[in-house]
Amino acid sequence: MEKLHFNYKATQPIDHPVHVGVVASGDLEVLLRPTDKDGAELAIVTGSDGFKETWEHVLDRFFDRYPIKANFEINDFGATPGVVNLRLTQAMEALKDEQ
Amino acid sequence: MSNSFVELHARQRAEALLDAGTGRELIGPFDDMISPHLEPQGIVPESDDGIVILKGQISGKNALVVGIEGNFQGGGIGEVSGAKIVAALEHALADNKAGKTVYPIIILDTGGVRLQEANYGLLSISEIHNMVVALKKYVPVIGLVPGRVGSFGGMSITNALLSYVIGTNRARIALNGPEVIEQEAGVQEFDSSDKDLIWSTLGTKQRQATGIIDEVVDDDVDAFRNAITSAINENKDSHRDQQGDFYLSLLDQLDPSQPLDIDGYKKLYKQVKTTEHHLAAATEGSKPGTKSRGRQWFEQLTGIKNAHSDVPTVLHAQKNGREYIAIVADENNRFPRVRHGEVGLVEGYTVASVVNDLIKADANKAEKTPLILVVDVPSQAYGYKEELIGIHMSLAASASAYARARQAGHKVVAFIPGDAVSGGFLAHGLQSNRLIALDDLDITIQAMSKASSARITQRTIAELEEATKHVPAMAYDIENYQKLGSLYKLISGVKSYDSSAKAISTVEGVIDEALADLDNKPTDLSFRYTNPIAVQSGRVATNKVRRLMDEQWNG
Repeated sequence: MEKLHFNYKATQPIDHPVHVGVVASGDLEVLLRPTDKDGAELAIVTGSDGFKETWEHVLDRFFDRYPIKANFEINDFGATPGVVNLRLTQAMEALKDEQ
Repeated sequence: MSNSFVELHARQRAEALLDAGTGRELIGPFDDMISPHLEPQGIVPESDDGIVILKGQISGKNALVVGIEGNFQGGGIGEVSGAKIVAALEHALADNKAGKTVYPIIILDTGGVRLQEANYGLLSISEIHNMVVALKKYVPVIGLVPGRVGSFGGMSITNALLSYVIGTNRARIALNGPEVIEQEAGVQEFDSSDKDLIWSTLGTKQRQATGIIDEVVDDDVDAFRNAITSAINENKDSHRDQQGDFYLSLLDQLDPSQPLDIDGYKKLYKQVKTTEHHLAAATEGSKPGTKSRGRQWFEQLTGIKNAHSDVPTVLHAQKNGREYIAIVADENNRFPRVRHGEVGLVEGYTVASVVNDLIKADANKAEKTPLILVVDVPSQAYGYKEELIGIHMSLAASASAYARARQAGHKVVAFIPGDAVSGGFLAHGLQSNRLIALDDLDITIQAMSKASSARITQRTIAELEEATKHVPAMAYDIENYQKLGSLYKLISGVKSYDSSAKAISTVEGVIDEALADLDNKPTDLSFRYTNPIAVQSGRVATNKVRRLMDEQWNG
């Protein structure tokens, strides 16, 4: 298990929390909470050690597309980058659906 | 096209059962109520700890849905997850008592105790058992076993306690998983790689044919909703926890030295001629029984030498107005899997008959006979026949009897001079409202043996032992157990096999104290999480969950 922290510049605030996913084998959950801070903060707990760079790549691409200003909490049980990207995108859909 | 229920996650399942738009989640992912015990062991937690609690309506009636997420840690029950279920059921009970009908529905998708939180899991599951038994007096408590995990371990006992259980053909129900039986009793007993054998023994088709589950429906959301609605409307209750006479009669007709296969069991099941079973009190015998800590203390506390009983593994007798009950080893027992004192098919049902007889005898008395349980149970019985017949039902029978006795006003005190492990402890000990133990490091108190626990959690025994240093609930000794706040007293200066007059009078003194302490106290299990050790350190997360549930229940 490894804990990772990231910060991203972000501009789009959210006004309600969102939760998607389950900490199942090869899967993860994503929680987004509104924040008063300038950018996005991410706290990740992952069951797969040594993938900091891979996370960075996935998150760089995500924040390029969705500069969401929120507190991100991610609990990951060995998801592949593709699944991580899918859950983050689902969180965006959930944000849109509820707005 | 059918709308699969099995494929949904716990939150989606709970929402799908409720009338659209009526669901409100209690202690959800944003309440920061994660398990404090997983990260110290290097395990990724989940924000809801694998339990989803929704209040809402089903067919216009108020309902509480408890969903267990089988994909997170195998649906295992730990401290937070267990406390969420117990606190929600407790509020449902209070509402029902106050005339506000709420129908509880529990979606079981669980391996039982979360082995990484071991003793917390056992405590929580016994508290769930207590709540289910209490609620059934007011409303049917409905269980769903959709699969894919099914319902195993201590939660299979919950399964047996529920009023009415609905499943699909994608679920299995058993006390011990095949891997654990193979680990404990060898591959000849149960081959955990034989998937056909496993499904045809533990699958819901066989379980429905032999009274372990009530209804098997298609994997479809509406099929579940309809089945729940009729169970509620018709007030269905199978009284599965009170079938002792039937099963003891069945076991009388069974020769455990002969192989028993699925068809043979179905045939036996249909032929049973049920007779009443009552166990006479133990009497003085001519020769000593199999030596064990449980037997020794039963004899010391009751004064019966070489205690003899018609059921050699269950001793009971009254002394000074107290009923003492012990489950003991019997080296020549006709059931090979109970020879070391394990709780097997006969033991659970027999204890239940003793306790049920006492409840009946005392029904109209203001002063109920206190029950003193002498606990020395190395585990439940691990065997193929045991699972085929449904040993979890036997353990449920005794857990239910103890819970009903306590709820009716009998004081129930467990005295632990020996081992207190797993399903054996759930059946005989954990329904007590005061637990007393000897401070002897030979006592093992746990959810599973080290070998099996390591196998199931995919760790080495060395890794498992390392984890026990960080999480007291993972430990195997009585001193760490006391740190959880579970014990009323840990008696120092008396060892398991002490037979001195001083040792006996010390133990008697503490039992007296425990009984006096129970005067005018709640008949529930709250002592375990409200005493100072529990509040300060042992059950901090439990108490936090309880406070949150109090705040959120009424919205």
